[in-house]
Amino acid sequence: MLSALSIGVVLGLWLAGVAMPRAAVAQSPDPLLDDRVHDLAKQMNCPTCAGRNLADCPTDTCAQWKAEIRAQLEAGKSDREVLTYFQTRFGPTVMQEPPREGALLLVWIAPVAAAVALVAAGVWAARRASARKSPSATQPAIQSEDPYVVALEEQVRQS
Amino acid sequence: MTAQGQSGARNTKLLVGLAIIAVLAIAGLFAAGLVLSAQPGKRPVPGSPAPDFSMPLYDGYRAGLPETIRLSDLRGNVVVLNFWASWCVECVKETDALEAVWREYRDRGVVVLGVDHLDTEPAARRYLEGFGVTFPNGIDIQQQVSRAYRITGVPETFFIDRQGIVRKTVIQALSRAELAAEIEALLAE
Repeated sequence: MLSALSIGVVLGLWLAGVAMPRAAVAQSPDPLLDDRVHDLAKQMNCPTCAGRNLADCPTDTCAQWKAEIRAQLEAGKSDREVLTYFQTRFGPTVMQEPPREGALLLVWIAPVAAAVALVAAGVWAARRASARKSPSATQPAIQSEDPYVVALEEQVRQS
Repeated sequence: MTAQGQSGARNTKLLVGLAIIAVLAIAGLFAAGLVLSAQPGKRPVPGSPAPDFSMPLYDGYRAGLPETIRLSDLRGNVVVLNFWASWCVECVKETDALEAVWREYRDRGVVVLGVDHLDTEPAARRYLEGFGVTFPNGIDIQQQVSRAYRITGVPETFFIDRQGIVRKTVIQALSRAELAAEIEALLAE
């Protein structure tokens, strides 16, 4: 009887131990909505801490903003509409990435243009340097023994 | 010039052209960065004109003012311009005091004007309702007002005289006595 009671207590404690943490981290009723909120928050900045992602920031401000994202999604707004709301309300700096329009297109075009130009310039410079080092590169690889060909090459060189 | 010489000159021009493109691209990047972080003018110091702005007021928090208020329309009044946010812990300490001086001085040509900074509307409304605020409060769309005043955070208060000149700026929560003292000084002029 006592052992049966002990087993019951141990089993009860074990079950409680297993069940409690699960209850504590129980998923919200709508994990898909959670994912959408997280995805949108990932695209935005914390408004008060410089350089921090909204999704990863635990401050009260960010909690409010995430609640607002959730409320707007629950109200049926699309992801684009939610992002547009935040940009219109708080300005383009709320976004992790600057908008791809107007003067800010430069932010996207300039690094690519600079990288392409620098790589092209580097390749060009390297080819020129290697051509200077090996003058034979501009000479015929095989010297002809034909006197006519030799005379012709000499004429071409002198012209 | 030989063919080799012409080719060399062409290569040099191309190299210079590519270098110029790279430099211009990097300069463009910096320019775009400046556009993104641009803030108009300097922070208004005491004695300088208060930067004018227009701001939509929260419905229910207009205190008889139009839907969108322009600061210059308040010329002739002493304006207590207060930047706040519902998530701001320090703001909690002064909201009652702001409401008290608004009620006390509103009939003597004083306007307490709240500027809600980086806040969501539901949170801001809960805050205003919670404190029973009646003084006019507006939405800082795209942070235009806070950028114009170059605030460093919240709470921050600018005392503006009847001529639209900033007379004092305070970067901390104010008590009722401190608010009243500043207002009385400006009303006495």
